[in-house]
Amino acid sequence: MKKGIILVIDDEDIVRTSCSRALTPSGYEVKLAKNGHEGLSIMGGDKIDLVLTDLKMPDMDGIEVLKKIKQDWPGVEVIIITGYQTVDTAVKSIKLGAFDYIEKPFTPDALINAVSKALDHKNKSQQT
Amino acid sequence: MVYIFKQMLVKKSLHSLTGKLILTIGTLMVVGSSIFWYLLFRHQETELIQSSVKYGHSFVEYVIKSNRYGMLTFQQLLIQQTIEAIGSAEGVLRVRIFDSRGKIAYSSDKKDIGTVVDKKAPVCVGCHSAEGTHPKDTPTVLISKDNRDFRVLNIVQPIYNEVACYTSTCHAHPRQQKVLGLVEANLSLAVLDKSIKNQGLAITIYVLVFLFVISVVLCTILWNLVSTPVSLLTRGMEKVAGGDLDYHLDINTKDEIGELAQAFNAMTSDLKKAKNELVEWGNTLEKKVQEKTEAIHRAQAQLIHSEKLASLGRMAAGVAHEINSPLTGIVTFGHLLLKKFPQGSEENEDIQVIIEQANRCSTIIKGLLGFARASAAEKAPVNINDVISHSLNIVKNKADFFNIKIVTNFDDFLSKVRADSSQLQQVFLNLIMNAADAIEGKGTITMSTRNIRDNSGDWVEIEFRDTGPGIDDENLAKIFEPFFTTKPVGKGTGLGLAVSHGIIQEHGGSISVKTKRGEGTSFFIKLPAYKEMP
Ligand SMILES: Nc1ncnc2c1ncn2[C@@H]1O[C@H](COP(=O)(O)OP(=O)(O)OP(=O)(O)O)[C@@H](O)[C@H]1O
Ligand SMILES: [Mg+2]
Repeated sequence: MKKGIILVIDDEDIVRTSCSRALTPSGYEVKLAKNGHEGLSIMGGDKIDLVLTDLKMPDMDGIEVLKKIKQDWPGVEVIIITGYQTVDTAVKSIKLGAFDYIEKPFTPDALINAVSKALDHKNKSQQT
Repeated sequence: MVYIFKQMLVKKSLHSLTGKLILTIGTLMVVGSSIFWYLLFRHQETELIQSSVKYGHSFVEYVIKSNRYGMLTFQQLLIQQTIEAIGSAEGVLRVRIFDSRGKIAYSSDKKDIGTVVDKKAPVCVGCHSAEGTHPKDTPTVLISKDNRDFRVLNIVQPIYNEVACYTSTCHAHPRQQKVLGLVEANLSLAVLDKSIKNQGLAITIYVLVFLFVISVVLCTILWNLVSTPVSLLTRGMEKVAGGDLDYHLDINTKDEIGELAQAFNAMTSDLKKAKNELVEWGNTLEKKVQEKTEAIHRAQAQLIHSEKLASLGRMAAGVAHEINSPLTGIVTFGHLLLKKFPQGSEENEDIQVIIEQANRCSTIIKGLLGFARASAAEKAPVNINDVISHSLNIVKNKADFFNIKIVTNFDDFLSKVRADSSQLQQVFLNLIMNAADAIEGKGTITMSTRNIRDNSGDWVEIEFRDTGPGIDDENLAKIFEPFFTTKPVGKGTGLGLAVSHGIIQEHGGSISVKTKRGEGTSFFIKLPAYKEMP
């Protein structure tokens, strides 16, 4: 059974691949997008449970993606991936509704941990 | 005296103060003595002449008295003989008796007898005045030179009628006749002249001797009191003008000159002091300029340094972004691969090394980011232990730290602090580097964190302790000053502690130091504990 459908938005191929390779064995369905626009169009088509988005991307940055998702699909959880953690952007993204943020480089376990927490949270809030 | 005049001539010092004084006083003395001499001389002469005149009167009186008997008895021969006898006495030039008609009745010079003189003759003029009809009854006195080389006292005395005269048997004179005749005596004043001359000479000699003595005394006094000190003063002035400010005047008199010398000495020493101050000022100015120049160089170096740091920060941010993605790949695939080999197998261990090294790369990048101030500018609750660990990660693999033992005593329950972690990192890095420099690569650096509470609230205290040589008392006061460093130019900018102090203050905390010579130094940082909102 699928634990959840996760969309990974990152301009870097290796990050996308890493996420899918880390999450798939744990029973998550992973969809990939190269940039914000592509990600949003996937959002429009499929039913997504959780979005992992990079903060720094060429056309549309993670904060914008986050805003858009929280605006159009408020039930979808978002985890921010940062290349380097700066306190202000982390705080900002949490304020804007991100569930968590995760620093690169991350281990598969750390990623799975963050994802499962987010999905648990989502399920709990949907039940109520 | 001669010496003084020689000196005066040498120095053309008739224009000098002493010269002028001597000239003035000398002139006054010569004039004064001349007047004195003249008055004294005149007084003496008058005195002598008066006594001569007195003597002359007595003499004439004596002539009359000695002839009284001859006259009363009318013995003309006796009278003539008496007159002649008197006339032959020493100093008596001539004695004559005139009758009332101006005829010479008796004379010490027989040839004169019988000669009649009219009223214009010198004898008569005394009483009858030039035109003379009204005779005076007083004796007349005349002193004349009379073609001789001495003066002559001429005395004329009337012979008055008496009871005895007109009652005498000869009946030569009637009762009504008032003046019966005159006695005229010419007395020589040669002796008088001589003594006047002698006295004058004596007075002159006295005055000259007096003048000479006074002059000598005056010159000596002036020379010693004025000229010598003044020329000493002049020489002193010349010396001082020539730049010799050590010159000291040796005049210790209590008078005005002494005071002047004292003032001069005071002035010289003041001048010297002022000059020394100026020189010192000049020196320190040079030193200050040098110090400032060095400070400016340091500031420039620091500017370049911080500029470098800023661009390093920007670069680190870019690099971090680029590198962290591949590292994510390495770490993720490493872990995936790891699961395919059983724990303890060679492959498993190799992969673990790969993962570890990838993580280390990431740590280095994070250290760089923390170091670059540009990467974080806002305060947030941070765990000081983490910040210190980050700082240590940056330095601990440097060659300088190979022989340094690093000890950390972290309080696991340390309160968070609201701070800019990259700024704190800058502070901690500097303290660690300072400690490493102090122990010169060998020794122990101990970092401790603890919660403390005092009456001003809750604090987080961080201590950096080293086993270095400590800090001199002299330097201790200055270490927080910007640009104070004991390190060679290029190695230390002296801004580390100054900036740290600023950063800690900005965070509402304080930084202090305890040091003991030969034992080591501890820096303490106190930051207000962050109270999480419930
Ligand atoms: N732990 C210590 N032990 C002995 N002396 C110290 C210690 N820490 C600082 N000092 C003294 O204080 C001076 C000032 O330190 P500071 O960190 O402000 O500047 P710096 O280290 O010389 O240069 P910079 O930090 O700018 O590279 C040092 O030069 C050193 O003499
Ligand atoms: Mg320093």
